[in-house]
Amino acid sequence: MIHDNVVDKSKDITILELLDRVLNKGVILTGDIVISVADIDLVYLGVKLMLSSVETMEQLKSGK
Amino acid sequence: MKKLIYALVSEGKHPDKLYDYLPEITGIGGAVLKAVSSYQISAIISEHEKTDIGADKFKALEFAEVIEHLSQKFTLLPMRFGSMMNSTEEVNIMLERNHERIHQNLDFVKNKFEFGLKVFCDSDRMTLELSSGIVAGIDNPDGNSAETGNSVFRDYVNKKLREHKIEELRLKYVESVIGEITEYFAGMNAVHTFRKMVSETNIIDALFLLGKDQKDTLVDAVSDMQKRNPLLSFVLTGPWPPYSFVDKTIK
Repeated sequence: MIHDNVVDKSKDITILELLDRVLNKGVILTGDIVISVADIDLVYLGVKLMLSSVETMEQLKSGK
Repeated sequence: MKKLIYALVSEGKHPDKLYDYLPEITGIGGAVLKAVSSYQISAIISEHEKTDIGADKFKALEFAEVIEHLSQKFTLLPMRFGSMMNSTEEVNIMLERNHERIHQNLDFVKNKFEFGLKVFCDSDRMTLELSSGIVAGIDNPDGNSAETGNSVFRDYVNKKLREHKIEELRLKYVESVIGEITEYFAGMNAVHTFRKMVSETNIIDALFLLGKDQKDTLVDAVSDMQKRNPLLSFVLTGPWPPYSFVDKTIK
């Protein structure tokens, strides 16, 4: 159960981290069109990413 | 047709590799990806009839997925979601106008990935631990147990003083953890940034730019720090494309 919680938490953080990067970071073109993304809510992640808590990452490393 | 730009990619010595790879992935809504190239830089774009592409979270994730795929094979600068230009000619002009800065930035992030490290604490527990050592000293600074005169003002001042001391100790503690993290990464030549006290529980939000081959060392270092600080939770994320280590704006 503890492990499940760790994974769930890191998944939530992952979603926030990803959307924070895509929406708030990266190169901006000044003076050109930037689409408004104010309505985006942070719910679901479908992108392949390798990220996790340290515990999960260690398990990935050891192939458990 | 409007041009939605996903990333600025270094073509390197083998531009054909990029052109061959693009058909293997698709853009937002399955759009075909194209490369607009100039000065050995390619802007990866998809074409859309309207400026309004119906931006929602799925589109943002599709956008991120394109960048993720490209970053596995090429050095790139991710664009912020929603960056559009009116024509291929405009994209070309942008590349020509900024090619030196873009190349400098591409060199800076070459063969590197971004990692995030968040450190969380149980705020209540930390407050309890930090306050336990200072309560007695504040409530009875002279050690005079006979002094029991009640005063609303005195209680209020003591309460505020306690809060101030706890905040001071909390910051000192965060600084010590940052010192520990910095020490760990000193030998890794990592570019890093720290944000302190992001929230009550998120006491450190750190970003690192590291070589691909340093991932295992990073994992080991974070694992070691976690063992040394059992009251804290270390959450490592990445590898990410270098979203946080690119020039913010280009014209």
